[in-house]
This record gives sequence, C-alpha cells and structure tokens, in this order.
Amino acid sequence: MAKQYEIPIGAQHISLLEPLHFKFTTENEKIVKTDANVYYVHRGIEQACCSKFKFRQVSFVVGRVCGLCSISHTTAYSQVAEKLLKIEIPLRAKYLRMLVIELDRIHSHLLCLSHVAENSGFEALFMKTMQYREFSMELLEAVCGNRIQYDFSIVGGVARDLKPQVAQSIMERLKKFIPQLDELMDIYKNNWTLSLKNKGAGAITKEDAMRLNVVGPFARAAGLAVDVRNETEDLLPWKEVGFEMITETSGDVYARNMVRLRELYVSIRIIENIINGLPESALITETKAFPDGEATVRLEAPRGELFYYAKGNKTQILERLKIKAPTFSNVAAMAEAFTGNEYGSAPAIIASYDPCLSCTAR
Amino acid sequence: MVLHRLLLLLMILVFPAQRDKILIMKTFLKAIGNVFKKPVTTRYPFEKTFIPDDYRGLIGFDENLCIWCRRCEMVCPPGAIVFSQDMEGKQTYHFNRAVCIYCGECVRACPKEGAIFQTAEPAPCALKAENINNGWNKLFDESLASREAYAAEKKRKAAEKAAADKAAADKAAAAKKEEENKTGADPDTMAG
Repeated sequence: MAKQYEIPIGAQHISLLEPLHFKFTTENEKIVKTDANVYYVHRGIEQACCSKFKFRQVSFVVGRVCGLCSISHTTAYSQVAEKLLKIEIPLRAKYLRMLVIELDRIHSHLLCLSHVAENSGFEALFMKTMQYREFSMELLEAVCGNRIQYDFSIVGGVARDLKPQVAQSIMERLKKFIPQLDELMDIYKNNWTLSLKNKGAGAITKEDAMRLNVVGPFARAAGLAVDVRNETEDLLPWKEVGFEMITETSGDVYARNMVRLRELYVSIRIIENIINGLPESALITETKAFPDGEATVRLEAPRGELFYYAKGNKTQILERLKIKAPTFSNVAAMAEAFTGNEYGSAPAIIASYDPCLSCTAR
Repeated sequence: MVLHRLLLLLMILVFPAQRDKILIMKTFLKAIGNVFKKPVTTRYPFEKTFIPDDYRGLIGFDENLCIWCRRCEMVCPPGAIVFSQDMEGKQTYHFNRAVCIYCGECVRACPKEGAIFQTAEPAPCALKAENINNGWNKLFDESLASREAYAAEKKRKAAEKAAADKAAADKAAAAKKEEENKTGADPDTMAG
C-alpha cells in the first residue's frame, strides 16, 4: 500500500465560492477517501422565521437564504403558506412565478458553467460565459426591480405585473441569446483542453446516484430522471408550458455541463411559451385567514429539489418552518464521487456540483 | 470573428496535414481575438448603468395625504419605518434607507393611494457620520416609547376627564335629588 496523505481543501480556499470543507485522503495523486463538512454559515434563519417575523414577512426573509435561487425559496415558502391558508392563487400569478424561476435558472446555470470553466483553468471561457450571463440579470432586474433579491412571490400571489414592453424585451434578448448559447455549447462540447479536465472526472453511476439520493442536474447527468417539474402539477403547471426532461448517461463533469446547457434551451422555450400565452387575471388572492395545520411543498430549484415544511397555529407567527436545500441531499454523493480521481481535478469537480452552502446551512 | 476564421482557413491551406491540431486551436484564436474587442463592461461612475423604469428604489412619503394608520410600519419586514408621536398627538414619519429592503410591501399595504410610494431612484450610500445603525436603533426605541408615553398621557387625561365628568354627574344628581326631595316635601305637588 502506498503512503497516504491527508489534504484539506477549505473552509476558505481560492477555488471555492463558499465555505465548504473537504478532507481528502490521497495515495500519490489519487483520492481514496473524502470527508465533507458543510455547516460553516449557520445564520439561524429558521428560528427567526418562527419567532421574530410575521408569516407574511417570512417570504422576504427566506428570500435572503440564498442569493442565486432567491425566487425558488420565496415561491416555495409562498406556496406552503398558501396551503396553510387554504387559498388558490390566480393563474397569471402562477405563470409569472414560473417565468421568474426559469429566468433565474438561466443565470444560475450559466454561473455554475462559468465556474467549472474557471476551476478547470479556462479563464477566457469563464469571462465569456459571464458576459453572456449578463442579459439574464438585466431581464430579472427589469421584471422584478432588482438584480439579486427579487421579492417577487408574496403570500397569495406575485408582487408586480409583467409590463408589455418588458415582455417584448425578454423575447428580443432571448432571440439574441440563442446563437450565443450555441457558441457556448460548441466550446463546452468540443474543446479539447476543457475535455482533459472534464471528461471522466467526478463520475458517479446511476445506481450510486439512486442509492445516495442525488437530486438536480447532478442526478440527471448520471441518467436518473428526477425533476420535481415532471412530478407535480397541482401548484405550477410545468407540463403546460413545455417542460422536457434532460438526462445524460456518463455522470461526469462533462455530462453535468451538458445537462445544464441543454436545460437552458428548455428554459428559453418555457419562457417564450409563458409570454406568448400569459393568461389575464388578478395578481393576488386577498385573505384575512391565519395559517393553520401542517403542509409540505417541493419545488425544482436550479440545483435540485427544494423542500419546505411549515406548521401554523392560527396566529401571525409560524410554529415551525423547515427548509431542506438541494445541496444538502447531494453532500453524501459529493464525497463519494471524488473517489478514484486525481487531486488536481478536485476544484473542477467541486464547481460542477454547484454547491450552495448558504442554502444548506441557512 | 471574420478575422480568426480567415486565419484558420489560411493555416489549414498552408499546413493541410496539421488540420486537426489547427482546429483544436480554434478557441485559442477566439480568445486572442477578444483582445481586440471593445470591453463589455460599463465604466460605471462615468457612465450610467442599466436601470429599468420601475426599479425598486427609495420609498417616498407624502405627509399631507397620510392618514396615520401606521399600517406600513406594521407590515415592514426589516422594520425600516417607524412613527414617533409628540405629546400633542402629532405623528412624525421616520425611514431608514440602510435598513429598508425595497420590497414595496408598505406601498401595497397603504390604504391611501400616494401617501407612501416607491421611486426609481437608487439609495445613496450610508455615511459614518449619519450613525445609521445605532442611531436608528435608538430612534426606533425612542419612537415606540414616545407613542407609549402619549397613549399613557391620553389614558390619564381620559381618566381625569372621566373622573371630572363623574364628579360633575354626581354633583348634578345630588342637586337633582335634593331638588326632588325639596319638591317632594312640598305638599302641593304631592297632592298634584
């Protein structure tokens, strides 16, 4: 047996975006065992939501759980609160929620792809992806009024309407984006330098993915067809607007890139369908009821399945709010997928997991 | 774009045997081509950045329209709005732009159109001299205390008034009773 070394990466490291700690046990350059430690950014948000804030204010608090999938958190919370209040939201509000979730998915996936390129040592592609990502941030700013914290979903509906000129600019910008996306697809697919770091790195089999309960693009890259958009129809009508499942088979970094890029085409199609068929109705259902009982909600965030549980007791303050972020489900598989890889490819593999630790630790 | 395609074509024509290797260099040449392009970033302090028409900016307040229901203060998630009250009952509106999250919940809650509204103007930076954290916390507590003091004063005044009214009523009742007794003692009325 070769001599084993333990190499830590994190909690602060230049290739990591967020505080995450991996301890690798390596033999020569091969990783044989990995320990993961994720809880570095605990902020006590769940407790604050159940003590300090009224239930209508909580949708703004949970929007601050994560900067990238802010809209997924606010929408999931709004849905769970609507279940507790036993109200049905207007159809237009549902469509507008889906529109912002998909715009958010575009910017989140492009951010992840750019970081994979950067951590694989391809700075120019990182810059290029970030350049192409900018249009989605501007569209989100035009729709929601802010670049990052959207505060778009509120309990009972959505906060703002979509103006016709904004809808038109979304269509124009998307039309401009499609050739750029084709160009990115070409580079990520065919570039030889990138394939050295990406093909075969961080691979996980379908059986392992199923056993370790993987969600999101990570699972879909391994061939496991899990997507909440495919499973639930009651809260948001995903299939009506043209959702399509994307899967790959190899389960490595390259497959994850491909899943994310191909999902962008699906997102673009969903946004176009929503804008073309946006129904006319009110934006918000008013109610004076208080939350009562228990409810759960699942929603497909850019990183996978987001889960909310809430319990009310007929007062302004919730009794319990539980958030389970997609990255939390993936931690076990993250540690597993490193085994057998070179230590040098670890940063690219970490970036391809798209870990969101402020969601996980809250 | 055109330049690097021409260059690639030229290289393939000159070295046809090396065609695969030249195609691998495609992205590399693209990256070099980027050097001669204009930057995509904006020179922000000197140029204007993209701000949409209905940007979620500073919250404005119109004192003349306000009906002083304090609903905006009640719904504000971070507590960026507070009303203080002086002893005559006049309320003053306080707003902290550094605490505000610009969600617009106060605008939606306002029953009087135009009393509180959202502008498209981005908030200016907070300065150290403004003491925007500790100063605000102090102001917030003082405002709540001032309202409590006014409520207590009002209650005391009401109690005083009620006591005075009661005393007056008692006095009047006593006088009436006395009068009744007086008239009751009169034999003529009794007979009547």
